[in-house]
Amino acid sequence: MSHVDIRDLRKSYGTVNVIHGIDVDIQQGEFVVLVGPSGCGKSTLLRMVAGLEAISSGSISIGGRVVNDVAPKDRDIAMVFQNYALYPQMTVAQNMSFALELAGESKDVIAGKVGRAAEILGLKPLLDRKPSALSGGQRQRVAMGRAIVRDPQVFLFDEPLSNLDAKLRVQMRAEIKGLCARLGTTTIYVTHDQVEAMTMADKIVVLNGGKVEQVGAPLELYDHPRNVFVAGFLGSPAMNLWPVEAIAGGLKLPGGSILPLDGRHPLPQPGTKLTLGIRPESLLPVADGPIRAKVALVEPTGAETIVAVTVGSETGTVLLKERFSMPVGTDIGLAPVAGSLHLFDAATGMALPVKAS
Amino acid sequence: MRDHLNTIRKDPLLLVLWLALICFAVIWIAPFAFIVFTSLKGNGEIMSTGPFALPTELRPDNYDVAWNRGGFSRSFFNSVFVSAVKVPLGIALSAIAAYALAKMPGRFNRLVFLLIVFGTMIPFQVMLAPIFTLVNKMGLVDSYAGLILPYLAFGVPFQVFILHSFFRGVPKELSEAALIDGAGHFTIFRRIFLPISLPILAALFILDFVATWNEFAMALVIMQDQSKWTLPLGLMSFQGQFSNEYGQLNAAIVITVLPAVLVYLIFQRYFVSGLAAGAVKG
Repeated sequence: MSHVDIRDLRKSYGTVNVIHGIDVDIQQGEFVVLVGPSGCGKSTLLRMVAGLEAISSGSISIGGRVVNDVAPKDRDIAMVFQNYALYPQMTVAQNMSFALELAGESKDVIAGKVGRAAEILGLKPLLDRKPSALSGGQRQRVAMGRAIVRDPQVFLFDEPLSNLDAKLRVQMRAEIKGLCARLGTTTIYVTHDQVEAMTMADKIVVLNGGKVEQVGAPLELYDHPRNVFVAGFLGSPAMNLWPVEAIAGGLKLPGGSILPLDGRHPLPQPGTKLTLGIRPESLLPVADGPIRAKVALVEPTGAETIVAVTVGSETGTVLLKERFSMPVGTDIGLAPVAGSLHLFDAATGMALPVKAS
Repeated sequence: MRDHLNTIRKDPLLLVLWLALICFAVIWIAPFAFIVFTSLKGNGEIMSTGPFALPTELRPDNYDVAWNRGGFSRSFFNSVFVSAVKVPLGIALSAIAAYALAKMPGRFNRLVFLLIVFGTMIPFQVMLAPIFTLVNKMGLVDSYAGLILPYLAFGVPFQVFILHSFFRGVPKELSEAALIDGAGHFTIFRRIFLPISLPILAALFILDFVATWNEFAMALVIMQDQSKWTLPLGLMSFQGQFSNEYGQLNAAIVITVLPAVLVYLIFQRYFVSGLAAGAVKG
């Protein structure tokens, strides 16, 4: 069994704490994405699982065995690095067989495993090439080949797609996800790209400032963010977050419009300061909509239209499926889709409880 | 070739650079041509023709006579032996030290590195007398070890300095990937770092070979027994005895210089790429 358990994991460099007690459970075969802004500790966490960084306290276990003091090579993991880290003087085949060779496997076994991995990844014609003669996508595939020939308990990916162009990234995203699903290997994948996280993960761990903000399935996090950080981090364009004040039966928005509550939340005490969150796709232009806004910029992408608006002194975004054209500065009314309001405590940033339905 | 000419025609600056390059090459080659031509002339012809005139009557026996008169078979062997031991040994030691200092975590790495690099700052001449005293106390005067050990001590710091900065420039993910693949430090050094630093090692090999081959002062101080002399000492002695035999003297010079030229020609393609390596992260 290759589940990974991370318990109260901490990391400090001297007096600087970078990881403040992280708990994550990763089930056998699960694809878990660690996501967060730069410097949130996601790569450090992954490197600790790999054994490339020492653990200050807490424990990591892989397949039920605590590996805190186990050398990287004995953890039965394979890692794919952002810059691929292919051995430049070795051919593709040699790169892929290096680990097996060091493990003392016989030539026949190595040839068989490398051949199979090359088959899976479409690397057969490239086996005799050096990494310098490969394109970015091919290098990425060799790095994955190097990982899969070892048939490890856990795959670790450290921002593997960051060096690829946008089109290739989308393609490799699907390839990696498909491959991991086919092999059924437990995978931990680090990225700062929330689209990658949303599309690939079985489970997302959102990290910020060395702490776990929320763990859950992608859509669960998207639909029910636990706090303002997760709400603002997941989703593109990002959720609109506006400071509001509770009044009897509704919310007073920036600029003075009054938005009636949809009944999903218990009525907050009038006068309470809150943060209102509405996803851009949950706002519709309605002539007499309760949210009074001004068009600031219209960005048609073809499939959809992104409209930047100002609401009072705040800015916001509306994502429309249909074509929309309106001169900048026009006053419009916006209405939220029913049940799409998110309310957060302005002081703590935590989501307000939703009424049980 | 045609492409080259076209580019030169389009860019006058390139033409000027090429001309300057040719001028410099001529200036550098001139003494060598002078020595080679003279080494093939008889004394009479040397006196009657210009130094850059081609020999009219070839006198290859100059080489034969110089070789035997100067006892060069002995000093040639000594030079070959000292260089063949010192140069690879020095580079191996430097590479291992540079790897350890650059890639293995240690509390005193920086201090040790500074100490080693400090060695490049001490002029060699200043150290001659103390080194002689030391070698003498160790009873190593007139022995190969007595010469090779100080050569190593003076060669290693520069090589460690160059290799250290090269190894540090190697992305750390490369050694981490190897670490995960199951390699220990020694395997990482031998299988990953040595192969990728071949060009720079070849460059160091040439530089160190030429320096060792031509080294004079230290050998003069430590090798007092004529049978242990290296080529530069043999050449000096020859020059003292047969300074009027210009043909033979220049033949002796060619004999001394030729191996270094050969080593340079063999390794020069690595040498050039080695000097450029590390300039950009590959």
